[in-house]
Amino acid sequence: MDNMNLNKHISGQFNAELENVRNQVLVMGGLVEQQMNDVIDAVHAQEKEVAKRVVERDRKVNSLEVSIDEECTRIIAKRQPAASDLRLVIAIIKTIADLERIGDEAKQVAHMVIDNANKTQPPLVSVEHMGRNVVKMLHDSLDAFARMDVEAAIKIHASDIKVNREYESVVRELMTFMMEDPRSIPNVLKVLWAARAMERVGDRCKNICEYIIYFVKGKDVRHIDSNEMESLLK
Amino acid sequence: MISVAPTTANAQALDLANLTEAQTALEIKDLNLYYGSKQALFDVSMKIPKGQVTAFIGPSGCGKSTLLRCINRMNDLVDICRIEGQIDLHGTNIYDRNVDVAALRRRVGMVFQRPNPFPKSIYENVVYGLRLQGIKDRRTLDEAVERSLRGAALWDEVKDRLHDNAFGLSGGQQQRLVIARAIAIEPEVLLLDEPTSALDPISTLVIEELINELKSKYTVVIVTHNMQQAARVSDQTAFMYMGELIEYADTNTLFTTPSLKKTEDYITGRYG
Amino acid sequence: MRNWFKSGAPWIWMTGGAVSISLVAVVGLLVLIAWRGLSFFWPSTVYEFDLEELNGQRHTVIGELYDSEKVSAERVLSSGVKLPEQHDEVITRYLLKTGNREYVDLDFRWIMETQIKTKTAPQDIAVFERSTNGNFYGYVEGLLEAGEAVNATDKRAELIKRMERAIALNQQADDLQHGPIGSINYELERLRLKERGLALNGELDEAAKADFEAQRQALHDDYLVLEKELFAFRDQASRDAVIVRDMDGRQVTLPMQKVLDVHFPNDMGFFAKFGHWVHQLAKFVSSDPREANTEGGVFPAIFGTVFMVMLMAVIVTPLGVVAAIYLHEYAKKGPITKMIRIAVINLAGVPSIVYGVFGLGFFVYMVGGSLDQIFYPEALPSPTFGSPGVIWSALTLAILTLPVVIVSTEEGLSRIPSSVRQGSLALGATKAETLWRIIVPMASPAIMTGLILAVARAAGEVAPLMLVGVVKMAPTLPLDGNFPYFHLERKFMHLGFHIYDVGFQSPNVEAARPLVYATAFLLVTVIIGLNMSAISIRNRLREKFRSLDQ
Repeated sequence: MDNMNLNKHISGQFNAELENVRNQVLVMGGLVEQQMNDVIDAVHAQEKEVAKRVVERDRKVNSLEVSIDEECTRIIAKRQPAASDLRLVIAIIKTIADLERIGDEAKQVAHMVIDNANKTQPPLVSVEHMGRNVVKMLHDSLDAFARMDVEAAIKIHASDIKVNREYESVVRELMTFMMEDPRSIPNVLKVLWAARAMERVGDRCKNICEYIIYFVKGKDVRHIDSNEMESLLK
Repeated sequence: MISVAPTTANAQALDLANLTEAQTALEIKDLNLYYGSKQALFDVSMKIPKGQVTAFIGPSGCGKSTLLRCINRMNDLVDICRIEGQIDLHGTNIYDRNVDVAALRRRVGMVFQRPNPFPKSIYENVVYGLRLQGIKDRRTLDEAVERSLRGAALWDEVKDRLHDNAFGLSGGQQQRLVIARAIAIEPEVLLLDEPTSALDPISTLVIEELINELKSKYTVVIVTHNMQQAARVSDQTAFMYMGELIEYADTNTLFTTPSLKKTEDYITGRYG
Repeated sequence: MRNWFKSGAPWIWMTGGAVSISLVAVVGLLVLIAWRGLSFFWPSTVYEFDLEELNGQRHTVIGELYDSEKVSAERVLSSGVKLPEQHDEVITRYLLKTGNREYVDLDFRWIMETQIKTKTAPQDIAVFERSTNGNFYGYVEGLLEAGEAVNATDKRAELIKRMERAIALNQQADDLQHGPIGSINYELERLRLKERGLALNGELDEAAKADFEAQRQALHDDYLVLEKELFAFRDQASRDAVIVRDMDGRQVTLPMQKVLDVHFPNDMGFFAKFGHWVHQLAKFVSSDPREANTEGGVFPAIFGTVFMVMLMAVIVTPLGVVAAIYLHEYAKKGPITKMIRIAVINLAGVPSIVYGVFGLGFFVYMVGGSLDQIFYPEALPSPTFGSPGVIWSALTLAILTLPVVIVSTEEGLSRIPSSVRQGSLALGATKAETLWRIIVPMASPAIMTGLILAVARAAGEVAPLMLVGVVKMAPTLPLDGNFPYFHLERKFMHLGFHIYDVGFQSPNVEAARPLVYATAFLLVTVIIGLNMSAISIRNRLREKFRSLDQ
């Protein structure tokens, strides 16, 4: 919070607006995190009802994105933010886009749960485990966002590789299932899509971390390998 | 991963610390300025590139106007003002003892905060500087008037009433007239001291557009209170605070990622 | 009550009251002098009174009713006037202007109401305005042409015809005298001075002497011719005369040459009177004074006043403006400048007579005296510039009004926004160029304001002028047709001094009083006129150099 200086503008109104939009992002983040948690619980317990709730709640995520977007547009039009304020607004706009996509991924997984509910279960344990990791990553990202913590962001950014590896192993596991029992292929494919969605969530967390770094350091670290990134941030 | 290609903005940016002589219009070297015993400028050093717009921003009383006035020696008019250091205009020190101040001011034009046309006709306002140089030929003057007024984007509005009193023009038109008057004598550098602070927003935009056109022929140095204006019109921005040059960088960098907290606080409207 | 005080109403009443008092004072002053002055020219009725003295002796008095007052009988008795046995406590007495100065001891006389038997206003009483001895009241009895009676059916028309002829001839004679004859005299004087100048330098040889003699002879011949003409005019003018019966029944012959105007006031309608009034007023403004200034016009005084004021303006403006420019633009701000400024302002508070003394001592005696010795030694011992004259008056008043011009010019200079100066300097103008091309034109309304104040003060100033150039009667104007046209060394007449002179120094103060009012009104009019023209110039300039922040 310290490195944000949000409350030190001469215009108190501007302080309030920025604070408000940032809080809304955190609310939206919390909601998305909740969605991910719920959907993984649903996967774990094969709870159709929970999954349905997730699908319903996604609308709330979407509407939050729209309202935050509007707020950001208003701030740009009225305040013409510069430097860190500008970077904050840009980072927020991009972050909520990613959050919304994460929400969509959660919805997709929830659909998978609903569709597969009464069918033979492919092994969902690894997917669930992967999901827990991704949720942790999302939680950390949001935490880093709340604190605008570059160190944490870099760490999370690097940890995405783990998620990717886990995804690869899940894919391999599912492939053996499909080879063993070709009749399960449709179901397994759905699980595969779910795993894929989890992996995408990890990528989006990585994006959010990049926005954090952009906001704090003013440097665009997208599409840079991690070594280069470290040298840039020194 | 793919290595990052420099963005267009970065490609245009000059290396301000190491400008070549050909690129430099003005070089300010260790300039200190005192009003009586009070020091108003502290060791200002910078190079202002040729053919570009350089903006000075900073809070009131930070010395940006004072610095601007040093460039055409307007501060000479203040009795108690004392200047140390030097300013090179295209390589020659303007504070040299044998510099003719009037001649210097013909090379470095200046436009002030409030429109200050003379109580004469539009035509006479524009040719004032030329008449001072003793030019009497009617055709030369007529041509200069048309060229300058066109240059100041005023010709179409006033061509039918060149001999009307300049006070009949609107504020924005007056300010453009003053710019026309300044460019009529074809200076090398044009100094603009908060040229739009007394104008309405539309006139301001017209002037800003004009500044953008002027930089193809003149080196423009502008002082402004309006940060957005500096961001819009300038290629380089210098941030001054309490008589010191805090940060001097290309405008894109300064307004997105200033390197110093003082600058950041100022341009984002925080109290530091 | 307290609320009323708090509401601010008393303040408004107080300030408004101050304004109305000033307004009433100004308007009252103007109306008073205008009424008293202008009514003088209105042809008033001439009455014929039949008076009876206490001893039963009866006689007739003709005159204009000039004034009336109520006095107690005691006072009248104690002044030696006898009254009838029965009389009121308070008696009205009338002041009559009877004219006919050479036939009665006084042309004004008091009559008691108790004396009056009858009071009539006969239609055919004529009032003659004469070039000497004032008005003559009486009945026209007959006309004479070269001593022979003229038979005319309409005596009045004939009288007026003949009078106009005489006036025209007199005019011609006057023109001749002031024009060509005056020039010849002027030339002769110049010749004399030239000759003397040569003599003083020892360059006067026989040839030159002969040359001068020849020139003088030529001029003298011209003069003789003109003189003959002049006498011819005069002779012709003196051909006619008019026989008038005065109030004592005497038949008086008035030479037509002396008659300037005749009118029959009791036989005039309103429009005729108005026409006469306008005519008299025009004559007052345009003709020369007569009879020790108590009659005739005031033209030389008007001319002298305006000429002197303008000359002063021409002197004071550049001087004041240049001084103000130096003080404001060039002088370093320090104790010395401050002292000079204080001195300048204090100069405005010095009594004007002190300036007169200074002008006499410095300008007239020192400067003028030196000028005479250097340039006009041939005229000495009679002084040329070494005596009071219009140039010295103008210079003295210029110094008197200098502070006003300096202060208001400085005021104007400091009101010019510095942005305009800087604008000019930024275009490569030097300070002098900026001053000349921008600052002084922009300050011109303020300079005009200073000039207006200076003119207002100078035109009303009399005391110093009495020492340095004003005279009761100046034979010539400071501007005429003889080279070099402007004769700045000449003395001149001034309306202000004229008022003083007529009002206090004339032999007949009673007769002159209306003239004092008329002249005062004229002086005020002249000053207002000068101010108005200056103000209109200033307003035009103001419009042109409208300041930026308006």
